[in-house]
Amino acid sequence: MSNHDPTALERLINGILPENPVYRQLLGMCPTLAVTGAVKPAMTMALATAFVLISANCMVSLIRGLLRPHLRILVFTLTIATFVTIADRVLAAYLYEMSKQLGPYVPLIIVNCLIISRCEICASKQSLPVALADAVGVSLGFALALGSIATVREVLGSGTWFGLAVLPSNWPNWGIMVLPPGAFLTLGILLGLVEWLADRRRKHVT
Amino acid sequence: MDTLISLLQIGIGAAIINNFVLHYFVGICPFLGVSRKVETAFGMGCAVTFVISIAALLSWTFTYFILRPGAPLPGWVWRVAGGDPATSVDLSVLSYIMYIFVIAASVQFVEMYVRKFFPPLYKSFGVYLPLITTNCAILFACLEIMKNLQDPTRLWGLHEALTLALGGGVGFTLAITLMAGIREELDMCDVPKPLRGPGISLLTAGILAMAFMGFAGVDKSVADALKRLTENGTPRVEHRTLNTEY
Amino acid sequence: MLATVTILLAAAILAVLAVGVAYVLGWANRTFHVAVDPKVEAALDVLPNANCGACGFVGCSEYAEAIARGDAEVTLCAPGGAGCAQRLAEILGVTVEESYPYRAVVHCAAHYDDRLLRTHYSGEATCASANLVAGVQGCTYGCLGFGDCTRACKYDAIHIIDGLATVDYHKCIGCKACARACPRNIISMVPFKQERMFVVACSNQDKGPEVQAVCTVGCIGCTSCTRRAELMQMQGNLPVVDYERYEGNDHFEPALAKCPRASMIYVGKPSPADLVAVADEQLPDRVEADFKTTVDETEWRG
Repeated sequence: MSNHDPTALERLINGILPENPVYRQLLGMCPTLAVTGAVKPAMTMALATAFVLISANCMVSLIRGLLRPHLRILVFTLTIATFVTIADRVLAAYLYEMSKQLGPYVPLIIVNCLIISRCEICASKQSLPVALADAVGVSLGFALALGSIATVREVLGSGTWFGLAVLPSNWPNWGIMVLPPGAFLTLGILLGLVEWLADRRRKHVT
Repeated sequence: MDTLISLLQIGIGAAIINNFVLHYFVGICPFLGVSRKVETAFGMGCAVTFVISIAALLSWTFTYFILRPGAPLPGWVWRVAGGDPATSVDLSVLSYIMYIFVIAASVQFVEMYVRKFFPPLYKSFGVYLPLITTNCAILFACLEIMKNLQDPTRLWGLHEALTLALGGGVGFTLAITLMAGIREELDMCDVPKPLRGPGISLLTAGILAMAFMGFAGVDKSVADALKRLTENGTPRVEHRTLNTEY
Repeated sequence: MLATVTILLAAAILAVLAVGVAYVLGWANRTFHVAVDPKVEAALDVLPNANCGACGFVGCSEYAEAIARGDAEVTLCAPGGAGCAQRLAEILGVTVEESYPYRAVVHCAAHYDDRLLRTHYSGEATCASANLVAGVQGCTYGCLGFGDCTRACKYDAIHIIDGLATVDYHKCIGCKACARACPRNIISMVPFKQERMFVVACSNQDKGPEVQAVCTVGCIGCTSCTRRAELMQMQGNLPVVDYERYEGNDHFEPALAKCPRASMIYVGKPSPADLVAVADEQLPDRVEADFKTTVDETEWRG
């Protein structure tokens, strides 16, 4: 462990795999399970979350001098709510079908523990470039997590990837994969896999 | 009777068939985090039910009177400002901000109230109240209520909104308590190392979700049975006789 | 026009809501105010917040509340030590006598080679299990060396070295986890009035020949020490040190010199003389338990 605050670049790289928000920090589970039935909605959600996270981090970092301790969570939440409203309206305007498919999960980005936690831990204490790098890193990590789970679920559940058929048509679609239980099972198994890989890496290093 | 049947449908739907945690994936964070012991899980479930009811009440009121398309308050302001009566002001863009504000404020208020007047209650679930502010389940209930206040021909009344909220809360409590019971048993089992903790909990949740899928259609069957009860005096389907005359 | 009215109305509604909520919450804050004892807050600030349970309460917040009520002594916090006790005493306005940090002491000095009549044990590799089986080693009182204490310690302060549980006094905070875990109850908490303390490192209650048959270093109950040191008394066949009146290590020198076995030792942080003596030596490799069984590869605990 380095004994100085992580630099901007370190934060960016940390957010992708070592401190991946879904696999290592276990934050932001609600959208992870809900929209990963197929890769397209998953990537749209990742994009929306990235927009909200980056904007909110930048905004909070800019106003960090004005925050009162007992009101800060409310301020974060309201900032995030504003950006989510923007994202939701833009999605409804330009990607209407996708917006309908994602349904209530775009506004649920407001209460995504991930964004509030990044604002609290990083943006409220760091300068703008560091907060920006942190947000970008975590967004990439989140997109990676969503993409991996959605790939497994879509390929096994519908034989397609991003709408394109990748498995032969006589593949019996594993219906359970696109249903809620499949989400839980996939995430559980992938979590176990990531944990095992991390453990091996730790043993390798020490 | 019809309203009662539809309320029952909404309630059972929210609690069991479209369980907030196992079908809609809202409230996963406390579901995985607080479900270690049955007592704490039940306390969390009660707290969520309590807050979700209050939030539903407030958000229904705000949405009905201010935020939905065709709401009275913006309509009145528009008329007073001399606007064209064919159109109206649509404030639905404020929805998310208002909901989150209302939830945060009401949770804060409730926490202070409970702490002052019901200390034993505060000891059992008061500490979870600040966590609930960022709980997806509450906001989700508000969003569902908003969804059902969009169509002017089929507006939900306050009773339907509260039933959804209570049903959702009860369903959440059910799911989290079941999970806590299973996890208490899992603590004594030999779980493979990579899966310990969140991994095995998610797999268990997946199996629970599969079990709950078996309830699909229960709300409709119950509603149909009750309808038949009120119309025919019996909930059974009458046997149709074959018409053998040709 | 529509856009203007929309924006103005939206801003007005939000402003009214914000002001209204602020008033309501401000009123609620004053009306529903619950007086929290400031002593509890101050005590929590002073306590180490390790939530180890050594004080006997469930967590640091429980202990803080008990202190504020006057139900508990301020000296119960082991990790906090004397400094914490003093500060707590200041907060509560009580006086406290000097208290000392309690540290774990293992009352056994026999490593693998010192233990006689050891047999091959192929059961579960825990002390609790081995304790139930007859004949794992000759001495039925002493350390078994399977590491229940090591696993109980959250501070990496006790390890099995050459078959004997050995406390690392740089890391021990006195939380008593190892003492609770030991199925033979040979770990006790001793007040460390100075850096190195004199302890009796044997728990064997049998007399002379029986002890000699099972251990090369255990106490045979010859009473040479109690005749030479006033602070040592015999309890059964074992000497016991009176730690309440313990003042200096010199008192025990004659007893230590006359002990025919190696059952009485100094424990604590190494003295400068010791460090100099081993400065040139290379550290030996840690010897792990030599009981290799088929269940050792798993972490099955039954």
